[in-house]
Amino acid sequence: MNLLVKRPLDKIYLRVANTLVTFILCLSEFSQAEDATTPTVPPTASRPNIVLILADDLGFSDIAPFGSEISTPSLTLLAESGISFTNYHTAASCAPTRAMLLTGVDSHRAGVPNIPEMIPPEQAQYSHYQGTLGHNVVTVASLLQDAGYHTYMSGKWHLGKTPDLLPSRRGFERTVVMADTGADNWEQKPYLPIYKKANWFADGEPYNLPDDFYSSRFLIDKTIEFIDSNMGDGQPFFSYIPFQAVHLPVQAPQEFIDHYMGVYNAGWDVLREQRHAKAIELGLVPADSKMVRMSTTHDWSDLSAGQKRYQAKRMAVYSAMVEAMDHNIGRLLDYLKRSGQYNNTVFIFASDNGAEASGLANPNTVLGRFLMRRQGYEVGYEGLGLKGSFNSLPPSFASAAASPLAYYKFYAGEGGMRVPLIIAGESLPIKDQQSKAFTFVTDIAPTILALTGTRAPKQRYGGHPVEPMVGRTLLPLLKGEADRVYSTQDAVGYELAGNAALFYGDHKIVLNRGPVGDSRWHLFNIVTDPGETTDLSRVEPELMQTMQKHYQQYVELNGVLPVPEGYNGKIELVIKGLRDRFGSHILIALLTLLILMPFYIAYRKSNT
Amino acid sequence: MNKILRVVVALPAILFVVTGLRWLINPAGVAPEFGLILLDGVGRSSQIGDMAAFFMSLGIFILMGLVTEKRSWFYPAIILLSLTAIFRILAWLLQDAALALNLIAPEVIIAGLLVFAASRLPTKA
Repeated sequence: MNLLVKRPLDKIYLRVANTLVTFILCLSEFSQAEDATTPTVPPTASRPNIVLILADDLGFSDIAPFGSEISTPSLTLLAESGISFTNYHTAASCAPTRAMLLTGVDSHRAGVPNIPEMIPPEQAQYSHYQGTLGHNVVTVASLLQDAGYHTYMSGKWHLGKTPDLLPSRRGFERTVVMADTGADNWEQKPYLPIYKKANWFADGEPYNLPDDFYSSRFLIDKTIEFIDSNMGDGQPFFSYIPFQAVHLPVQAPQEFIDHYMGVYNAGWDVLREQRHAKAIELGLVPADSKMVRMSTTHDWSDLSAGQKRYQAKRMAVYSAMVEAMDHNIGRLLDYLKRSGQYNNTVFIFASDNGAEASGLANPNTVLGRFLMRRQGYEVGYEGLGLKGSFNSLPPSFASAAASPLAYYKFYAGEGGMRVPLIIAGESLPIKDQQSKAFTFVTDIAPTILALTGTRAPKQRYGGHPVEPMVGRTLLPLLKGEADRVYSTQDAVGYELAGNAALFYGDHKIVLNRGPVGDSRWHLFNIVTDPGETTDLSRVEPELMQTMQKHYQQYVELNGVLPVPEGYNGKIELVIKGLRDRFGSHILIALLTLLILMPFYIAYRKSNT
Repeated sequence: MNKILRVVVALPAILFVVTGLRWLINPAGVAPEFGLILLDGVGRSSQIGDMAAFFMSLGIFILMGLVTEKRSWFYPAIILLSLTAIFRILAWLLQDAALALNLIAPEVIIAGLLVFAASRLPTKA
């Protein structure tokens, strides 16, 4: 299907296309005994419950099994009861990841090539560049629901906020969701001026958060409530828990913050080195792997004592937020053990992209405090992380969160795309092992279907044509039957806001745009050099050429559009956000001026 | 009419024009300020059409009075505001409506201001 269709032509195009596709498929269906929309339903006892946990903006080395100093005993427990995937890649921004995670389809084909807030007008005129989950894809929740699963979701959705786009219409039986890029963790409050309010929904209806809200605790409370409401009815469940942690604003309860006070006084360079050393010790990266120092990393020694104290607390709050998430995951594990469901549950834990580096280098200035107060936040040292405060990670500490990788969220460098993935469960045959196999976010949905014995639709679902899944099941890795699911000749392409990559065996070509990248293609061996320190493009020009050809095929196959010249995603977000939030105010002001102008001219004339 | 009075009279006129435009451009945002829920279909048409026309007319009448310095332009605005205030009170007395003092008070005050401004203008230009 040609994806490059402008919206005005949509109706005509879709009508013709649908008629043709329907006709062809009707003919083919006569010759196929197999009905792609009918799931295979094995006996209930053999089907595991699935808990899919997604952290937000969690860096590669932010949890203990991946080399962090942060205490994450629940995730360590999961890592010990399953496989840690050390070469797992996702999109470098949240909504494209979520679209691919839930559908197994490339983000461009799923309608979410970028977050909607960052799609420029030049791209937004195309139907597959709306930033909301298209109706041409099926979520894994829909398929599991059809297969007799209870399907629950508690957390961040960000794939559309109109009624037909909410998860309650995309296969989830019970939901409590936040539909924006992020929101406050302590109260129902937007974290950016582009939003009028924090858009929470429960079962498809607008929802008001309780007074004692803290995001990670609340989301697990609701998950337990959902699971408990149907316990014992014989049906397995699929629970999707996309945490707000550790997205902006970085906030955590005081008791967790206390654990990390003073831990980061040596600064970001030391932390990045420590985590690199731990990653080598754990076998996550080769012993001789190197790191680059990002151009956005400041010199810790240039900071005053007060600034060091403040920056160290920013990181302490971040770590506390990670630990609070882990603590609440532990509450869920305890509940499942108590209720006898733990042994029949498979857990999948991942992050939606690398560490977020959008925090100001120093927000605690006169201007910073003024701007934050306009949004209802304080940034002072004392209350940092608590209710009413706004905390974030500066690029320097984000680089440590992504250690030993280069770049971070939004960029196609390993620090933006390589994140932790753990798949665990008592029923899985392999325990406490690492897999270095290349894996991609589109593999998660096929893996869930394989674990549950559910068939994916091939071309049609619910009477409509749908995009087929392109991901691969990781079941052979989980069973120890294979050491890779992509061969050395398989190419996996990726693009987001002009930042691009292609994975091919152990190699990757990558292009990062500004302001941090140089907008040039580079070639790395990401198995021996995960830190992307040695560009091989001149050493291996033929491989570079082959991979660039594969990337062009990916662009053509998936309708990837070029970004406009000078495009900057963050500026786009601000412009679009302000237009959405204040556009009508600006229009009213301009029209008022237009109406008043003739009166003013007439008044001036009458007085001369 | 002196400059200060002109400015004082121009301010509500501009406010009325802005309110009229808000009814046209962002009716869902302005409707709750009048205790209304934005309706669908014909109801929405009536809400937007009537309310936008009411406020735009008020603003334009007052601005015309200021520019032409003819007091007769103030009279329609005075009548509209006064009747609105009176009918609100009648609605409270006869139709179980709330006594919307927060809306009645400005209507009465602005109507009084326009009567005063009109008295400062010559009877005939």
